[in-house]
Amino acid sequence: MARLDVSIVKRLPGFTLDARWEARENVVALFAPSGAGKTLTLQCLAGLLRPDDGRIVVDDRVFFDARAGVDLSSQSRRIGYVFQGYALFPHLTVADNVGFGLRNRSRAERHARTGAIIARLGLSGLEGRYPRELSGGQRQRVALGRALAIDPALLLLDEPLSALDLPTRATLRDELRSTLLQCGVPAVLVTHDFAEAYRLGDRIVVYEAGRVIQSAPRSELLWQPASEAVARIMGIRNILHGTVIKASPDRIQLRWRGLTMEAVNSPTQAYLPSSEAPIAFFIRPEYVRLIRKDRGAPDPGHHMNLMSGRVVAEADFGTTVALMIRLDEPGEPAQGEYDLEVEVPRLVYEILEIDRDRHWQLSIHRGSIQVLPA
Amino acid sequence: MTPEATSALALSLRVACLATLLNAVFGIPLAYVLARRRFRGQTLVDLLVTLPLVLPPTVTGYYLIVLLGRRGWLGSPLYAATGWTVAFTWYAAVIAATVMALPLLVRTARAAIESVDRDLERAAYTLGRPEWRTALEVTLPLARNGILAGLVLAFARALGEFGATLMLAGNIPGKTATVPLAIYSAVQTGETGDALLLVGLLTALSCVVLVVAGRLGARAA
Repeated sequence: MARLDVSIVKRLPGFTLDARWEARENVVALFAPSGAGKTLTLQCLAGLLRPDDGRIVVDDRVFFDARAGVDLSSQSRRIGYVFQGYALFPHLTVADNVGFGLRNRSRAERHARTGAIIARLGLSGLEGRYPRELSGGQRQRVALGRALAIDPALLLLDEPLSALDLPTRATLRDELRSTLLQCGVPAVLVTHDFAEAYRLGDRIVVYEAGRVIQSAPRSELLWQPASEAVARIMGIRNILHGTVIKASPDRIQLRWRGLTMEAVNSPTQAYLPSSEAPIAFFIRPEYVRLIRKDRGAPDPGHHMNLMSGRVVAEADFGTTVALMIRLDEPGEPAQGEYDLEVEVPRLVYEILEIDRDRHWQLSIHRGSIQVLPA
Repeated sequence: MTPEATSALALSLRVACLATLLNAVFGIPLAYVLARRRFRGQTLVDLLVTLPLVLPPTVTGYYLIVLLGRRGWLGSPLYAATGWTVAFTWYAAVIAATVMALPLLVRTARAAIESVDRDLERAAYTLGRPEWRTALEVTLPLARNGILAGLVLAFARALGEFGATLMLAGNIPGKTATVPLAIYSAVQTGETGDALLLVGLLTALSCVVLVVAGRLGARAA
C-alpha cells in the first residue's frame, strides 16, 4: 500500500498554495474547479517547482523537506508525469516517446521494455507514428506509456481525460482505472470533474483557493461533505439553510420553510450545533419521493418529512426529469422560483402522468437529508 | 570583373560565413538563456545585445574601437603583450559583422525557443534528462526552424555590413574592403561597372536570403 504525506506551502504573486493531505490509498484524486492549485501541487510533487515550505514523502522516500534541506531533483524522483495535453515530443515517434526515459538502460533492455509497454497499452502497429498522426485516445495512452516505462515511484496525471471528446472519455476513463489498478503504482490525479474523481480516485482531496477543504475516502466524501463549500464544489443540488431545533449525536431536528424536519446526524462528524443555530443541509434530488395518490392516505410511520407543493418548472434530461417544486407553505421560495429540485426517472414521470398532474405530496427519508457542518 | 571586385566578393563571403558561425556558437546559447532563465542583469544583457540593431552602425563601430582598438580597453593590453592589434585586419571585419548580426539571430531564436511548450521540457526533466540534455534533445530541435531563420538573417546582415566595418577594419582594398565598402569606393572613383555588378549581386543574394528566411519562419510558426 502506498504512503503519501504531502504538505506544501508555495507563495506566488496573487496566489498562495497551502495544502496538506495524507493518503494510504493507491489512487488519490485532487478535485476542484480550475485555478485552485491542483497543478501546482503536482509540479511540487514532481520537483518542477520548489515549495517555500513543507515536506513531501512518498512511501519511504523523502522528496522534499524544507527544514531538513532535502530537495530531490525531478530527474532523481522517478516520477511518471502525464501532462494535461500530454506533452508528447512532437519530433519523436511513438516508440521514441515511450522509450525516452530509458536512456541509461542497455539498447536491448530499452527495446524490450518499450515493446512490452506498447503492447500492454494496445499501441502495437503505431510504433513509427508521430504524435500528430494519432487520435486523442492514442495520445493519452502514449503519454501514460511514457510515464509508466520508467517504472515510476509515483504517477501524476493532470486532467488526463479533458483533452478527449465525450464518447472516448468514458471508455478511456474505465481503461485508465484498470491500468492504474493493474500497475499498482501509487497515483495522484487532478480533475475538475467530480464523476471522474469518484470513478478513478480511492481518496478524494478537495481543493479551494489553494487550500484543502476536505480529504476523505470517496464514499465518505459523497455522503458526508465536510462543509457547504465542499458540497457546492461537488455540484450538489438542493443546498438549503434552516434553523436547528434540537441536535443529538444521531438525529438533528430542524426548521425549514415553516416545516419541522428530521435528519440523521453525520456518524463520523457527530455535529452538535446549539438550538436556534443556523444550519446548512442538502437533499439529493433523486432521493425525494413523490407519494402516489392511488395508494390511500400516507402512513406517517413509513413516510417521513412530509410536505406538499406544485411543479413550477421542469428540465428534461432524457433518462430522468428534474422537477422544480414550490412548496405550499407561504413565504419566499428557498431557491429563487422554487424550493426543491426533485429528480424522477422518465418511467416514473410517465406512469404518474406528471406532465398533467402538477400538485404532489413529497416525503424525504431522514437518512437522505445530510447536514453540512458550519 | 576587376580583381578588386573579385577579392571583395571572396572576402565578404568569408567574413559573413565566419560571422554566422560565431553567431551560432554564441548567439544560440545566449538566446536559450534569455528565453528560459531569469537572472540578475538580464535586462542589461538583453539591451547590450539589441543595441546594435538601433544604433547607427558607426556608433557601434566607435564602441568597438574603444574596446578593441590599439588604445582600447581590451586592445591595449593585447597590443602591449603581442604587438598585434585587431584593428584594420580582416578579423576586425568579422567582429564588426558578428556584433551587428547578433541581435537578429538572438531575437529570432529567442522567440522560437520561447514558443516551445514548457511542459515538453518538464516532461524530459521527469524522465531523467538534465537541463542541458533537454535543451539539445527537445528545445533546440523544436525551435530549429526559427533558429535557422535567424542564422539566415544574420548571414544576410553580415554580408551587408558597412558602417561598423569601416570604423574598425577600415577600407583597405584586398584586405578589409568587403562588397559594401568596395561599392562605396567604386562609386567614389567612378568605376560604375564594378559598382553595378556588386550591387546586383548583393541584391540578388539578399532576395534569396529573405525568401529562405520567410519559408523557415513560416514553418516554425
